[in-house]
Parts: sequence; C-alpha cells; structure tokens
Amino acid sequence: MSVTPSPVAGPEGPLEAPETERMRRWRVVLIALGVGLLVIAAVTLLNDIPPSRYLGIAVWLVGALIIHDGIAAMIVFGVAVLLRRTGGRIPFAVLAIVQGAIVIAVIVSVLFIPEIIKKHIGTANPTVLPLDYLLNLGVFYVVLAAVTAGAIVLCLRMLKRREADPQEASERG
Amino acid sequence: MHVKWRIQRILHQFRHALATPSRNPRMAVVIGRLLAAAFLICFATGLYSHFLQDPVPGMVFPNRPTWLYQITQGTHITAGIACFPLLFAKLYAVFPELFRSPPIRSFPHFLERASIALFVSASLVQITIGLLNTFQFYSLFPFSFRHTHYVLSYVIIGSLAIHIGVKLPIINRYWRKADALDADGQVVVTEDDPDARLEVPDELRRLTGEPQTAGVTGRIFAWIDEKPAPNAPDPRAKTSRRGFLATVGIAVAAVVGLTAGQSFRLFDGVNVFAPRKNGTGPQGLPVNKTARSADVIDRAMSPDWKLTVTNGATSKSFDLAALRALPQHESVLPIACVEGWSQYATWRGPRLRDLVDAVGAPTGANVRIRSLQTNSSYGVTMMQPEFVRDETTLVALEVDGGVLDIDHGYPARIIAPARPGVLQTKWLSRLEVLS
Repeated sequence: MSVTPSPVAGPEGPLEAPETERMRRWRVVLIALGVGLLVIAAVTLLNDIPPSRYLGIAVWLVGALIIHDGIAAMIVFGVAVLLRRTGGRIPFAVLAIVQGAIVIAVIVSVLFIPEIIKKHIGTANPTVLPLDYLLNLGVFYVVLAAVTAGAIVLCLRMLKRREADPQEASERG
Repeated sequence: MHVKWRIQRILHQFRHALATPSRNPRMAVVIGRLLAAAFLICFATGLYSHFLQDPVPGMVFPNRPTWLYQITQGTHITAGIACFPLLFAKLYAVFPELFRSPPIRSFPHFLERASIALFVSASLVQITIGLLNTFQFYSLFPFSFRHTHYVLSYVIIGSLAIHIGVKLPIINRYWRKADALDADGQVVVTEDDPDARLEVPDELRRLTGEPQTAGVTGRIFAWIDEKPAPNAPDPRAKTSRRGFLATVGIAVAAVVGLTAGQSFRLFDGVNVFAPRKNGTGPQGLPVNKTARSADVIDRAMSPDWKLTVTNGATSKSFDLAALRALPQHESVLPIACVEGWSQYATWRGPRLRDLVDAVGAPTGANVRIRSLQTNSSYGVTMMQPEFVRDETTLVALEVDGGVLDIDHGYPARIIAPARPGVLQTKWLSRLEVLS
C-alpha cells in the first residue's frame, strides 16, 4: 500500500496563535502539572483500590466512550441530519427551537430517569428520593412543550413581520 | 481494497457531514472554559470534603462560617450536575475531531489523542457515578464509589491541564471574541479546509477513479450534502449558533434550578428532581443511615445506655439523666451531607468541650468519637481540636424542640459546625480524648 500523502492532506482545522516564549513556558508547566496529577492518580489507584476492582472501572471507562461517541453522538448526528433534510418548508429558526427543546428533554430525561428506576427498586429509607419523579418529569415535558410552542408562535410572528417589512429585515440581517 | 484510503474517505465524509455552525473552535473555547471552571470548582470542593474526612496530620480546618461545608458541598453537587449539559455541549462542538485523518500522525499525536480519550471517558464516568451516588444507586458500580471518584478527579484535572497545554495556541487564538470573529462576525478558520467540500479528489479516487459519491455510504453522504448546514455568510448560521448556546444555557438552568433546592433553600420551591427534599423525614429532617440499617436500635433504646468519656486512665460515664443535668446549650447548625443535601435545625444539649473538660482534656487534644454503630467505617470518627473547642459543637439530645428521633441518633449525637454529615456521629457510645 502506498504511503504517499493524500492530495487532500494539508493544513486543516482552527487557526493557532503564534507560540511566544511565554506561551511555550506555560505549555511546559501545564503539561508537566498534568502528568504529575496523572501520576498521583496512578499511585492512589494502586494504593487505595484493590486490583479486583480495576476491571470494573475499565469497563465503565470504555463503556462511557462507546455509549457517548459510538451511540449517543451518532444518534444526535442522525436526528439533526434527518430534521434538516426532511424539514421541508419549515422555517430554519423553528427547526432550531424544536431541536433545542428535544435536546433539553433528552438531557433532563437522562439525568432523572435513573431516579425513577432507583425509587422503583427501593431506597435505603423514605427520605432518599422522596418525590414523585415520574409525575414531575411528566409535568416538565408538558411545561417544556408549552414553552416551545409559545416560542414557535413568537418566532413565526416575528418572521411574518419581517416579510411584511423588508426594510426591517435587511437591517436585522 | 485500499483499506487505508477507504477509511480516510469515510473519515473525511463524516467530518464534512458533521460540519455545522455551532461546531467551531470559538464555541469549543467558550463552552470549554465554562466546563473547566465547573471541573475546577468540583475538584477544589471535592478535595476539601475529602481532607475533612481524611485529614493529613497537621491540617487545620475553618469552623466558621458554620454553613461553610453546606456551601462547599452543595456547590460541589450543583456544579457537578451543571457539568452534564456543559460536557455534552463541549463534546458536540468538537465531535468532528474524532474523524480526523490520518487518525494518528505521529507518536506525540497518538499520546495527545489517547490523553483526550482518557479525559473524555473519565469525565463521563465521574459525573455519572457522582450523580448516581447522590441517590445511593451503588448496585450499578462494581467498585467503591468514594475511592474511584477520588482517583478520577486527579485523572480529570491532570488531563485538563495537559489538554489546555496542548491546545494553548488555539485557545489563545479564540479566547477573545474580537480575535475569533472576522469583520462580518464569522468565526475565522483556515482557508483551505479540506472538509469544506464533499467531492474533493482523494487518494482513493486517484487510485481507482471511484468518486466520493460512489457506494452506499457515498450515496448517503451525498444525500446529506444536498442540504448542508448553513454556512457563513448565510444569516441562518448565526441563528444556528445562537440556538445552540440558548439550548445549552436553558439545559444548565433547568438541571441546576430544579435540583439546587436540596442544597440551597432559595430553590426549595422548585426542587422537583433532587434526590432529597427539605422538610421530609422524622422531625422534618432527612436521614442518611437509619437506626435499623445501623443495627443499633436495641442498644440505643436500652435504659442502661451510657456515654463514656475517657482521657487516658481517667474515665467518666454519663447516663441520659446526667447529660440532661449538665448546662444545656442551643446551636442552630445545618446537617450537610456529602451527597449534597443540607438542612438547618436547632440542636440542644451539653457542649462537647464541657464533657471532655470533665475528664481534664487539654485544649489542643483530638477526640475520637465512637458510635454504637459498628457496621460502618464512620462508626469511629476523629474530631480535631478546632471543632472540639467550638462553642456550637454539642452532644445533642434534642432537635427542633423534641427528643432526638432514633434515626437522628437518639439518645445522643454529635453536631458541629462546617463538617460533613458523615462526621456528625449518631448513637454515641464513647468519647476518647487523645493526648
């Protein structure tokens, strides 16, 4: 297999500030500090945690990467593409509002559904997870849907006003 | 076959398809510094809580303000919850970086990517186990929460320092809005970005003549590319960026605002998702360990119960009546748990310092506090002299005007200012003055 560089290879990505002597020193300090902290982490791991637990920790670390990068981020990508491709004549700002609402609903669900599960399994005493989280999550969805609908109505009204007044539209870009 | 060039093409196609206005270096810097601040707050407050429980000899801790620990630990948990939307946003903004090609350019590049992988996974695990710990979902962890959380905190802050060090020229370039945006308000990037177009002649095409749009994946990416995300100077790009920032802001406000009530009374009215709620439990006060799970009910309820106070060979025993006969004092102190919740109460009982003085304790002495509870590592705790000598530190017999409930430590418990709840030992049995 050839190892000649591809024609598309080249400078890519973000711009960089010129590396001054001061910045170079900061970089050395930061990286040395980071390595030092990682050494503390490794020593603490070896001293405080029995080796029988290492596998469990490793499974969690690798699992987190797979679940985030391999599954969650791909689903977000897929949903964003589908919304964009199938949005049809829905105004862009409305799509952005809907996307934002979906993201907020998903984050709140991811954080608080485990509470519902744990409460269902049972807690050490009644003061742990004392609330009706299922009901509260339901109320949250309803409020979020109402606020989203309100935001869409406002947004459509603003767009209509701009259409009616192209002067204002051009001023606002 | 040309596997290498096929991989390179897929990476390019992904990076191209993932391009969207909110994924830019300025956004990574803006979200990144918020996330770094949250991580550093969690680290500092976490270390404080760790060393309060596990002090290095010679450490002295402040005992004023009395609500200090309530604030530091409440902030620890609240900032940790805020990390969820911030971390998701940061990872979203830099997601195309995952598809860089070639994946590894050199050994230093490999180290950089490996350190980022460790940083990302440690961060995700850290905030997840932290959240699950606040409602004691231990059954999901095949490891000790406390030790793992402590080790990962060094991994995260170490990786953060390395990450900032590596990316410093980029961070510096995009730190100020004026440097990051051009005259039209667009984020400045390198001009010959190879991901600007989907259909660029690549090595695979040179070798086989196959265009980017060939094959199943090629067709999918071409379909996506028919309606790409808006790009500057399209005004929709600005809408997209603002929508992203608004979403992150609202998500942070929602998860923080709807849980912070367990730590900050101001938010109690909108506490709908926190694992704890003020005003619940016996005597309107939440409980972490019940008398039943601590296995102390029989001994705590026994009429023969005595609190023994020792100083070397000197020893005195106090039954409940003797403790009540001592001068009684009132302290308004929060019970503030490592899990983040806290609540104020009015405690009443003799001062700890009066009890240890009865056996001639020197002013600089530590006191070892023993509970009737023997099935937990918190059954025996140490108290440093600054807390022993504090006038608000009590051997509490009453709370909020009533005799202590058995779940709050009847017949007697420790209550001291600015200390975590696990050190507010319940069901006292012995106080040992250590000279």
